[in-house]
Parts: sequence; C-alpha cells; structure tokens
Amino acid sequence: MQRDLPLVRMANISKWFGAVQALNNVSIEVRHKEVLGLLGDNGAGKSTLIKILAGVFPPDEGEIYFNEEPVKFSSPKEARARGIETVHQELSLVNIMTISRNFFLGREPTRRIGSISLLDKKKMDEECSRVIGEVGIRVRSPNEYVSILSGGERQAISIGRAMYFGAKLLILDEPMTALSVKETRKVIEHIEEARESGASVIFITHNVYHVYPVADRFVMLNKGVKTGEFGKEEHEAEEIIEMVASSEGVL
Amino acid sequence: MRRVTRNISLPLSQIRRWPEFGVILAFSTIFIFFSVLAPMFFTIRNLTGIFTIVSELGIMTIGIAFLMIAGEFDLSVSSVYAFAGFIFVTLGNSINSLLALIITLVAAGCIGFLNGTITMRARIPSFIATLGMMMFIRGIMMAITGGRTVAYHGDLIVPTLLTRFIGHGFRPSHVWFVALTVLFSLILTRTRYGNWVFATGGRKEVARSMGVNINRVKLINFIISSLMAGLAGSIAINRFSVANPSFGIGMELEAIASAVIGGTFLTGGHGTIIGAFFGAFLMGTIRIGLIMVGAPAYWYMAFVGAIVIIAATINIKLRRLEM
Repeated sequence: MQRDLPLVRMANISKWFGAVQALNNVSIEVRHKEVLGLLGDNGAGKSTLIKILAGVFPPDEGEIYFNEEPVKFSSPKEARARGIETVHQELSLVNIMTISRNFFLGREPTRRIGSISLLDKKKMDEECSRVIGEVGIRVRSPNEYVSILSGGERQAISIGRAMYFGAKLLILDEPMTALSVKETRKVIEHIEEARESGASVIFITHNVYHVYPVADRFVMLNKGVKTGEFGKEEHEAEEIIEMVASSEGVL
Repeated sequence: MRRVTRNISLPLSQIRRWPEFGVILAFSTIFIFFSVLAPMFFTIRNLTGIFTIVSELGIMTIGIAFLMIAGEFDLSVSSVYAFAGFIFVTLGNSINSLLALIITLVAAGCIGFLNGTITMRARIPSFIATLGMMMFIRGIMMAITGGRTVAYHGDLIVPTLLTRFIGHGFRPSHVWFVALTVLFSLILTRTRYGNWVFATGGRKEVARSMGVNINRVKLINFIISSLMAGLAGSIAINRFSVANPSFGIGMELEAIASAVIGGTFLTGGHGTIIGAFFGAFLMGTIRIGLIMVGAPAYWYMAFVGAIVIIAATINIKLRRLEM
C-alpha cells in the first residue's frame, strides 16, 4: 500500500561544482513516517544532497520523486509548497525580529481593507502563541525578539513552524550543534512528535549519537558517494561510528 | 494551549520598548531647551520655518531609513536632490511643470535602480557604489552647468502642490512629509513587504531561505530612496525658485544621522519611520535653535556629531537590553 512506497526518492543524483564532483550517483529514499539519519563527515556531500531536495539548486544528473511522482524544484518555495521544510542549523530565524514576524516570514497572513492588504497581526500573534505553547517554550509574548531564545528554543520554534505549515518531510540540518544535553533531548522529542503527526524526517549530522536514539534507518555518505545504508536493528551506534571512521580512511 | 498575554503591570518597560521612545525624549528635551532659552523660538512663524526645512530633509530621511533597514546605504541622495532640482527647472521652464515633476521623479528612480543594480551585480558594498554615484552625478552637474544658478520661471502648478504658503507659514510640503511618514510606516510595520524588508536587513540568508526575493526588496528600496531624494530636491527647488549644482552637499550624512538618531541600525534589520520623522525634526530643531540662541552656525555640525554618537551608543545599549 501507500505506506510501503517511499515518500521521497532521490535516484542517481550527481552534482558538480566546477571541476569538483560533490555527489556521485547517490540514491536515497525516505519512507512514510520514518526518521532517516544522513551521516557523514564535513564535506561528505550531505548538505549538497539536501539542498537539491529542498530546491536550492538542481541536480546535474538524476531524478527526484515525491510520492512516486517525478518533481523538479526550481526554488525552495516550490519544494516548500510540496511540504518539504528545511530547518537549518543557523539559517531559520532572524535574531533581531520578533518571534511572530519570524514565524510567518514569507508566508504572512493578510486581511484586506478595501483594496490594500495588511498583515493580520492578530492571527499572527495568536497562531504563533499557540505553537510556542505547544512546543513548550515560555516567553511573555510572541512579540519578544528571537535573540532572547536559547538555541534549543529556536530549533523548537523552527520545527513547530514547519509542522504548522503542514510539512510532510522535515529536513533537519545539524539541529543539535551547540545545544546543551537537556536541549538535545528536547529536540529528539520534537522529532518524535513530528513523526507521530505523520511527517517523515531527514536528520543530517556528523555525530551518530545525536541521531541514533530517534532514527529508523541510516545512510552514510563519504566524499560524495553513498558508502552505506542500513536499518537501526542492524548495527549498534559504536559500530556505525567505526564505519564512518573507517570509510574516512582512519583505520 | 496557553494564551500568552502582555504584561500590563509594567507600563514603563512597555514605553521603553517603543523604538521611538529615545528620539522623542531627546527631541522634547531639546525643543523645551530652545523654547526656554530663545524667546522667539516658540512662535508659529519659527516653528513652521523649522517644519519647512525638516520636511525636505525628512522626506529624504524616510527613503534612507527604509533602505538602511533593508541593510543597504545610499550616499548619492544629496546629489540626486540637487540633480532633481536641476532637471525640474530645466524642463519646467519649457513644459508643463507637473509633467516636468513626473519626469524628474522617474529620472531619480532610475538612479536608484542603477545604484541597486550596480551594488548587486558588481557585488560591491552599497556604501562604495553610492559614494561613486554621489560624486559622479555631482561632477557631471558641475561640469555641465559650470556651477551657475538657474532660475525657475515656469507655471505655478507644482510650486503650489509642493511648497507655496497655505497660511500661518504652513506649506504643502509639511503635509507631504507627514503623509509619507504615515504611508511608509504602514508599509514597514503592517504589510508583508515590510516584513521582508526587516528580514532582508536582519539576516539576508534567512530571508532568502524562507522564500523572500531579497534582491528585489533591495532594488525596490534603492529606487524608493532615490525617489524620495528626488522629491525632496523638487520641493526645495520650488521653494527657492532657483537651482544650483552645489545644493544639498553633505545632506546625505544629515539624513543618515537623522535615521540613526531615530533608531535605525547602521547594520540594518531594525528601525522605524516614525523614529526617522523625529530624527529629522531633532536635526532641524538644533539647526534653527542654535541660530536663535546666537551660536555661530559652525556649532551645528559639532552638536549633530555629538548627538549621532550618543544616539548610536543608545541604540546598541537598547539592542543588548531587548534583543
């Protein structure tokens, strides 16, 4: 049935930047309500792969299927319209803007007064407050600046926002870098909640321990090539670290 | 589900959170200071006189502030100001003045378009691109006119629309200034575009990744900045009835100073148009007030310099406090 078909399939993706080949014939798939851990060291091609999926740039070779339907994204907006939401480690919120203005950035609700359309501030604040409450952040008002929030709170709001806008696939790019242990646990909870509500997740990291508690499957990349793909039941976290390290040529 | 309510038990902290609080306080202080010290200061004639010069500076400041919030600079506004006056006089002397004004504003807008295009295509800081544009336009004007003054003797349509007295020293330019302040304040705080302007200046990578066309936002704001400078120049020229290629030299710094005094961040991403409005008023009040208390005109520069430094320092402190 539907459940067995992948939500997203990237087939034989290759990408060059000038003379450098960033991705070489990489294929991955993400199933429905699945958390996929995308592993690899810096420069392995993880970010390039998900940027292609998020519509930042097109692949030079290969196809992308969304619900088995071939898709071509020419901008992040198009990918987002399909329900592919990316939460970047540092690129999701503007610090010197309020939470509510950030929350709706690029998708602001408006109300019409005559022939002009103005921001629906009331709706923005109410909806934003609700989501803030749901992800468990304590702030006085959605009109507080993002800069007063901790790293974990920012990730929570970014994830909450993606889910609010109906994300089917949530791409998290190193969501736990620079987070405390407590906050890391929080992010794991948010990911599990996202899966519960029906979304699939791609979790990109170079740290296996960050993703191991929540992932269902793993894909390993190294120097633009897929070097491994396995389910969680197949390997312990330590074994995976060993594999990442050995494929780097450390052994 | 938890309702987040505003804390109303702390009105002082609420007031302090108004971004315009500082500039309004500073303006009021200086206004009272001069009213007490100079007997002729608080008269309708003098206050409308201040309003007149503030309107011209202020319209330019609105454009500058709008662009600065999007994270870019425009130093060429002072040259556009003089250039607009020149085009208007030259055209207005032979064709209908309203048509001359429209052509003038289109020409000003084109310079803004050029500023934006150069900045983004050549990937050089707008500070440099518009510095070049400022000198380029000023130089061309000087070269063509030989520094001579040209008098306006066209029809009275545009002078009446922009700056002829309407009683008690009030002029239409005052109304234009207030109206444009309200308009741009609304655009900035109450429209989607305004949100994109903040995001573009606040962190352009985030804005881009959230689907904001940051180059378009910047280009539009460059055009607005130039347009407003062109309008300010057109008003001034209609008030004086003569155009001189040296008009407005140094005015770009006054406008930037007004914006900064009004709470606009030099680094972009934050600021208000109401603040820019009072920033321009503060500048105008100091200029006239110093003259009226009998201080030599040179003191104006020193005073403004000190206030800019103080305002920028307060901005940074507020930022640490609130953000």
